[in-house]
Amino acid sequence: MSVSYSAIGWNRAKKAYDKVIVTGLLVYLAFFIGVSLLAHPDATIETLLIRALATAAFLMLHVILSIGPLCRLNPSFLPLLYNRRHLGVTMFLTALAHAVFAIVQFHAQGNENPLVSLLTTGTGFQTLGAAALVIFFLMAATSHDFWLANLGPRVWKTLHMGVYFAYALIVMHVALGALHSEAHPVLAIATGAGMAWLFTLHVVAALRERAGDRDDELIDDGWIDAGPVVDISEGRARIVSAGERIAVFRYDGKISAVSNVCRHQYGPLGEGRVIDGCITCPWHGYQYLPGNGRSPAPFTEKVATYDVRVVGGRAYVHSKANAPGTPVKPAHA
Amino acid sequence: MLVDLARGALLVVAAYLVIGLLVAVPYLTFGIGRTDASAKTAPWTFRVIVLPGLVALWPWVLRLWIRPGRPH
Repeated sequence: MSVSYSAIGWNRAKKAYDKVIVTGLLVYLAFFIGVSLLAHPDATIETLLIRALATAAFLMLHVILSIGPLCRLNPSFLPLLYNRRHLGVTMFLTALAHAVFAIVQFHAQGNENPLVSLLTTGTGFQTLGAAALVIFFLMAATSHDFWLANLGPRVWKTLHMGVYFAYALIVMHVALGALHSEAHPVLAIATGAGMAWLFTLHVVAALRERAGDRDDELIDDGWIDAGPVVDISEGRARIVSAGERIAVFRYDGKISAVSNVCRHQYGPLGEGRVIDGCITCPWHGYQYLPGNGRSPAPFTEKVATYDVRVVGGRAYVHSKANAPGTPVKPAHA
Repeated sequence: MLVDLARGALLVVAAYLVIGLLVAVPYLTFGIGRTDASAKTAPWTFRVIVLPGLVALWPWVLRLWIRPGRPH
């Protein structure tokens, strides 16, 4: 959250995160090349570098795709999500380095334009890799908050969901390329294990989310029972569902309800906390006032609010959303 | 045949990117501060960071420039 954009929103935690990413990448590349040299002493450094960069990017892609469902299953993974965009940009740059080295090594020696050669030779696996790289580029190029604000959260999120299509392209790129020419089964096993891991993780996270997504019972005239007030911890929320998810917060002896969806990256506001009087998104720290769903000035983000009431020690929230930023009188807890 | 198709596709992509650059540079110089207040006082490094996206998504940028207003 910032009034004026900066190039990269670094803070101490993000710098530490980025150092881990870069160090991890360099250690992996050195390890891969070292082990490969022991196994294939006659391999050229160019070939080893191409393979090391490719496997590093593929591995990073698996980590990136694992972070979302892991966070849904266990909030202790949230710090990984906080800076996922930097990991994504690093993955794109690693994949780009792989592509550049591969084009120079395999397509720049003849008379034909190297890019034409790339698209017209082999089993087509290069074209699949190039298509995935274009998607990764679009994601990296639009990863700044400027794009989130100007494309709008819906378009931005849809664009970035393209990572799953890119993953499918990369799996085919590996299957028709490296697996086609590699006699040793280790890469095939690793690729299969990666796919199985991601599939299982996403299914388990989706099932968990779906179980909590059953619509809460409407009691009368559109009101939903959010349960006993004492069951909601101070500064925390209970998430209820009425088609849309609603976060019912208890704070300072009051009850307020807002949309569970943060305007920034659709983070789950109901899993956040009230900090300094503001509902704070657990993903990137975007804040909203519980009474009106507005970010404190000078920020301008707004989420929908909901009418609330407390009867007999139980909190009730109306299922009809008010327009984003509409003030609603909190109920006394 | 396939080679001709690849050459043609690459020419189209190159033309698209040149137009993108012709839109992105003036937008960064004159337009971005008017369409997004948070970009008005942003440092030049911010402009470098968003340039590749502006080139790639230049039709969107044109639309934003002609009809300012944040999407929802």
